[in-house]
Amino acid sequence: MNTYKKTYIALTFAVLFMFSFSYMLVPLYDIFCEITGLNGKTNQERVIVDKEEITDRYVTVKFTSTVANSAPFNFEPIDREMVVRVGKVNNTFYTLTNNSNTIKHATASPSVVPGEHAEYFKKIECFCFSQQQINGLETKELPIQFVVDTDLPKNIKTLILSYTMFNTTDQVGSN
Amino acid sequence: MRILTTLLIASFPGSIFADWETNMPRGVTPTSEIAYDIHMLIFYITVVIGILVFGAMLYSIIYHRKSVGHKPASFHESTKVEIIWTVIPFIILVGMAIPATKALILMEDTRDSEITLKVTGYQWMWQYEYLEDDVSFFSKIDTASNTARRLNSGLDVFEVDDYLRNVDNVVVLPTDTKIRILLTASDVIHAWWVPELGGKKDAIPGYINEMWIDISKPGIYRGQCAELCGKDHGFMPIVVKAVPKDEYIKWVSIQKDEKIAKNR
Amino acid sequence: MSTNIDKLHDDHHHTPSGIMRWITTTNHKDIGTLYLWFSLLMFFIGGFMALVIRAELFQPGLQLVIPGFFNQMTTMHALIMIFGAVMPAFVGLANWQIPLMIGAPDMALPRLNNWSFWILPFAFTMMISTLFFESGGPAAGWTLYPPLSLQGGDSMPFVILSIHMLGLSSILGAINVIATILNMRAPGMTLMKMPIFVWTWLITAFLLIAAMPVLAGAITMLLTDRFFGTTFFTASGGGDPVMFQHIFWFFGHPEVYILILPAFGIISTIIPAFSRKKLFGYDSMVYATASIALLSFVVWAHHMFTVGMPLAGEIFFMLTTMLIAVPTGVKVFNWVATMWRGSMTFETPMLFAIAFIVLFTIGGFSGLMLAMVPADFQYHDTYFVVAHFHYVLVPGAVFAIIAAVYYWLPKWTGKMYDESLGKIHFWLTTIFVNLTFFPMHFVGLAGMPRRIPDYAVQFADFNAIASVGAFGFGLSQLMFVYILYKTLKKDVTAEDKVWDGAEGLEWTLSSPPPYHSFNVAPKID
Repeated sequence: MNTYKKTYIALTFAVLFMFSFSYMLVPLYDIFCEITGLNGKTNQERVIVDKEEITDRYVTVKFTSTVANSAPFNFEPIDREMVVRVGKVNNTFYTLTNNSNTIKHATASPSVVPGEHAEYFKKIECFCFSQQQINGLETKELPIQFVVDTDLPKNIKTLILSYTMFNTTDQVGSN
Repeated sequence: MRILTTLLIASFPGSIFADWETNMPRGVTPTSEIAYDIHMLIFYITVVIGILVFGAMLYSIIYHRKSVGHKPASFHESTKVEIIWTVIPFIILVGMAIPATKALILMEDTRDSEITLKVTGYQWMWQYEYLEDDVSFFSKIDTASNTARRLNSGLDVFEVDDYLRNVDNVVVLPTDTKIRILLTASDVIHAWWVPELGGKKDAIPGYINEMWIDISKPGIYRGQCAELCGKDHGFMPIVVKAVPKDEYIKWVSIQKDEKIAKNR
Repeated sequence: MSTNIDKLHDDHHHTPSGIMRWITTTNHKDIGTLYLWFSLLMFFIGGFMALVIRAELFQPGLQLVIPGFFNQMTTMHALIMIFGAVMPAFVGLANWQIPLMIGAPDMALPRLNNWSFWILPFAFTMMISTLFFESGGPAAGWTLYPPLSLQGGDSMPFVILSIHMLGLSSILGAINVIATILNMRAPGMTLMKMPIFVWTWLITAFLLIAAMPVLAGAITMLLTDRFFGTTFFTASGGGDPVMFQHIFWFFGHPEVYILILPAFGIISTIIPAFSRKKLFGYDSMVYATASIALLSFVVWAHHMFTVGMPLAGEIFFMLTTMLIAVPTGVKVFNWVATMWRGSMTFETPMLFAIAFIVLFTIGGFSGLMLAMVPADFQYHDTYFVVAHFHYVLVPGAVFAIIAAVYYWLPKWTGKMYDESLGKIHFWLTTIFVNLTFFPMHFVGLAGMPRRIPDYAVQFADFNAIASVGAFGFGLSQLMFVYILYKTLKKDVTAEDKVWDGAEGLEWTLSSPPPYHSFNVAPKID
């Protein structure tokens, strides 16, 4: 009978392990994304640049935007395209307009193509790090400060940065 | 039964109009041509394997049956044979993996594109933005199809031109130009697919995907959403009109003028 | 079936009669029977939904249902067929056959066995009842991809709860199978002497234990995303909808093999019996099954090549997927080698087994085609995929189950089925299954996406053929029910060793076998 019991206990543990494994897949997935650049996820935290290493290389950075779930926002890049020096710190901004009469909360999610080179797009300052609060009918300028890393492979001449603006008012309300 | 089926089919109004297309289109872009070539290569390989395996089986079924008096042999293992039929398929697979990998490397290389078209999926329409020219518009199923497709609309869908394959605003793109297509979605996952322009790619809310096309022949190319996106998933067609470059430039300037006129 | 087993109760064993007998039973044969009848019922419910789908797709234009309901039908059809028809049928076969084949009196955990069955009717009642909700049943596909599945109506928590219950049932069943096989084999039956069906089920049970909890995790995340403010799958909170697909298919691909490995075991049992020759390459069959199972954990992303994976990922998943063709090929070659120079007869189980090999291999070929990523960008989410997985699941898994029922029915009931009716059933089923699913290859390649309620007119002809085939297939299965009914009504008893070429311990017992299969363990040399 003892061997039976061993079998059951081992199998029950295996089941519990696999259930927790499904949750372990969540951080594993993030690490996987970071390594492979899946989905063009960029850094979600501030990058600190002590010293600029300005090179003579130029790359084109294009900006685009999407409003999620047809939220009552206008959300546009002010520069559609910038030709930037690799290694130099650049500034630009997006504008966000709240077309409704009430206060809204908004969160932006960034994504870069080509995805495998997203890691070379480094954000020093970005509105996507935090939630934005915007009054009814207000228009806000949302700044980004970024640098294109000098390690960017030579054959890459264009990076495209895309932001999707989500209306997160409901989530704030429920917290 | 088969005769009955044939009779049934013959009585359909569809048979008059419909064709019997049975294969993947070769398409008009490098990526669609590669997909087609790989598809045909692997198809022929499987046909050859199939003929060998099913042939051996059929031979056995005909000649090694009890009713013709065949006595069972007693062999039931042979390491040599097992190794042979493990190694040979493996070699065939490696042989297929090489061209497929080469094709993939080409397909994923979006560099040096001249035009960027951003496609955003909505429930249930598409938005197109020409990033360099600041032109953008929505595109959804045309009214004729949309009326005819209603449950018990009483309309004969065979009478509708390009039923479910027509839109109000077509995407105009230049030929002989490398075009980068960016894909994202506003609400749920969609997938943008025009078979003759190559494969599909998912449009995922919050993230951006890319693919490229380079159309070699002017023409109208039709496709539709290929990822279940809710109740009207079957009703978000895509129509791409490919025109020579100079014509495309003219089209863009008209769009820009219209935009200025609208904003005034 | 019931009346017969009733008569065979051991004297010292008193079980309640009537319905209570079935509710309280802990006997592996009773539970196996319950599973099999339940699976047949679900097969017809899921099949009815398939016919609603095919009726709507008979012609372009919407004639019968609205698109939202169509999506509910495709979603429920898949959930019911996978979790309600195929999986319970295999568990039913395991319950009946494993103790008989390894020389054990019963399963290791009889009471748990009872629970794992009786969860199912409740889970499915709940799942199917969502169709009558005001907001309808689940409509996001059985894969439940967010964000679409998060938009679902009130049905969503009920469906998730019922999937949890189904998962629990499968896990309990799997634990029982493993415990039985590892601990209750007759003396002398080493692992490498086990019948191949037992082997495939042992491996399947391990797959269930590894895969089902992952599904449970994925759908729990969906539930908390919807109701408790987590953002596992929403980009605004740093989540990612694609991650769901990764976790889901990490379960989903092993699940695919859960649905086919026991079928391999059945075919590997039936082919030698009717070829009157031992299974060719028993050892390599075991190793092939094990390697298919292991590989199934590293191929999941081939279900989602179009989500925009990095090149390295695409190449990796393409190669591992192609690799699965090697052990699967070995299995097919071994079956043909078993038939080779045998002395074959073609009774109904053998006919279904041969059709399985041919049609499953066709499904395998289209699977190999789908593995080629450059071409998959075209195939993905089209009817080509629908044709592929129906070829491996209907003439694959379902044919194997039907073959198994014909093969062991005389043993279970002690009565022989009507051979000529069985053959007619086979031919009708095989003709119609091809009529249904073969044209789907063509429309898929020509550009028809899956999961659409209406289509452009150029796909009309092949869709009409597929619909005719589907109705023919569905009606042919009524004949199966009639054959079962006729067999059970019979008075003539079958011999103990029904098939002269069959091997295995089950044939040493009487037909039907005694209530407790082996009270004295048989000796294996």
